[in-house]
Amino acid sequence: MLDFLKILAGNVFKGPSTDGFPFTQAHTPRRFRGKVHLNPALCVGCTICRHVCAGGAIHIAERPDGSGYDYTLWHNTCALCGLCQHYCPTGALSTSGDWHNAHPQSEKYQWCERHFVPFLSCDGCGAPLRPLPPALTGRIYADNHVDAARLMRLCPRCRQIETAMHAREASHEAQSGS
Amino acid sequence: MNDIFPALFHMLVFPGGLFALVAGLFLKGLDRRVEARMQRRVGPPLWQPFLDIVKLALKQTVIPATAQRTAFLAAPVLGFAGMAVCAALIPVAGAYAGLPGLGDLLVLFYLLPLPAVALMVGGSASSSPFGALGFSREMCMMLAYEVPLLAVLLAVAMKVGAATGVGVEFSLSAVVGYQLAHGSLALDPVMWPALAAYLLFLPGTMGVPPFDVPEAETEVLEGPLLEYSGPALGFFHLASALKTMVVLGLGVAMFFPAPLPGGALVNVAWFLAKCAGLMLLTLTVVKAATGRFRVEQAFLFYLKYPAPLALLSLGLAWRGL
Amino acid sequence: MLRKLAARSPWLYRINTGSCNGCDVELLTTACIPRYDVERLGCRYCGSPRHADIVLITGPLTVRLKDKVLRVWEEIPEPKVTVAVGICPVSGGVFRGGYSIAGPVDKYLPIDINVPGCPPRPQAIIEGVIKARDAWLARMGG
Repeated sequence: MLDFLKILAGNVFKGPSTDGFPFTQAHTPRRFRGKVHLNPALCVGCTICRHVCAGGAIHIAERPDGSGYDYTLWHNTCALCGLCQHYCPTGALSTSGDWHNAHPQSEKYQWCERHFVPFLSCDGCGAPLRPLPPALTGRIYADNHVDAARLMRLCPRCRQIETAMHAREASHEAQSGS
Repeated sequence: MNDIFPALFHMLVFPGGLFALVAGLFLKGLDRRVEARMQRRVGPPLWQPFLDIVKLALKQTVIPATAQRTAFLAAPVLGFAGMAVCAALIPVAGAYAGLPGLGDLLVLFYLLPLPAVALMVGGSASSSPFGALGFSREMCMMLAYEVPLLAVLLAVAMKVGAATGVGVEFSLSAVVGYQLAHGSLALDPVMWPALAAYLLFLPGTMGVPPFDVPEAETEVLEGPLLEYSGPALGFFHLASALKTMVVLGLGVAMFFPAPLPGGALVNVAWFLAKCAGLMLLTLTVVKAATGRFRVEQAFLFYLKYPAPLALLSLGLAWRGL
Repeated sequence: MLRKLAARSPWLYRINTGSCNGCDVELLTTACIPRYDVERLGCRYCGSPRHADIVLITGPLTVRLKDKVLRVWEEIPEPKVTVAVGICPVSGGVFRGGYSIAGPVDKYLPIDINVPGCPPRPQAIIEGVIKARDAWLARMGG
């Protein structure tokens, strides 16, 4: 019945188990989901992140002049669920270990991630496009002997034509060979 | 006239007033610190209660529009003043013999509930329904814990009176004097039940868990204190610190005044150490280990255990054992 | 000088404006889990708005609670500092645009510190409390 006395005395003896946090660095677990960051070089503008975002924190708006799009991620609406990171096909979004979120009200509207992602133009017809990152194209065309780097600089329509030409050449070669 | 100045000194500086205030606040800090350690936390610094008081002094006092203004503002001062007088009545063995003709157990018995009464007055004057709830709970608790207190005081008075042949000895100085001559009452088996009852009375009167029903912040939002803010709340905290000192000092004086050989300073330190020990034993450990009683459980607890224990001692002392 | 001393005793008060309780649990951990122990900064969670110095607001401010929250907030004596804990009071969070949501809170109350997160880490809350304490000291003129 008096076990609690033993526990209390033990606790006094063992000393506090408190983190030194405000005065020392706090430990952050390896897989901790903190602030989300975008790597604009990898973004292809597929908008799946905007679609899955629980809090609606992601805003993507194309510029009227067609030069690219503005990508805004509001940290003050982000629920840190990590869905965007999970669904991002190119790995452009990642959660960092940064949890130092407290900020004064005056900084409220600066507390976001803003990027301008420019469009490139198609080598064939000049239409605006975002190229897939090389790592991803490498995986997609792993079994095909095509010039993936060239294909990725083409818009989907030109890519179709290019692929069709390629296939016709291949079949001609096969007929003449037999 | 010549008696006035020493009396004023005793009331305002030592052992009442300033001394009791500082000691009481430090005891509160120690209490919070040790409680934190028992829960494996670091806890606030020892002088945290002082910082709290300074903070409260700088805050705005809000008086509810529907409150009884005078009673609302007078209540905390009433509790504080009552306890400041009380603190001067407690003898410190080996350093201070108590005010002649005033250090009386019955006076203490009447003055001790003052902070609780102040709480009740303040709570009901605040016109808040939670204040009224806190009022009724405080009232209930008071009825419960005053019974064992009265029995303990009577037992002590009876015991000392029977031994010295005056019948019933209510003077606290005489009680301490008797113990200095014949050994502490804590060492007398007849008084053990009374001592146990007094130890059980302490958490109740100080309103610490599991007997913090009147100020339960999760149930009645701190009850009578709900509407208080700023300096007025600070006065309640000061009164509580003084009361800590008074009830602990009374316990030490009634049961274990035994002084150390040495000067007055040594004995003041020894007195404080005994108070701190008593507090850790009866307040801190209990607070750290328990939840909260319901009001009827707390009420019945006091009538079931401490009251019969104190009455047992009283009976034994009455039979002249 | 006195103000500097006073700033080391910030008492906290929670207002739940229709929160899912996630942030409230995190607030609780800062006080009740020995690892975070907010009491060593002199903080104490108090039950009455009249005792509070730092107000921690959680939840997206539902339509039903709006007037009550504003009333409780008015009860808190000056000087006080308001902290929005979690993304809901800051922006509406996942409830933003719902038919029952009147928030974000800073439409109605002057917020001083934002601590976004869903919920924020206890350490982040402690960091917010420390920032709020500095803001409080500045407000007292110390």
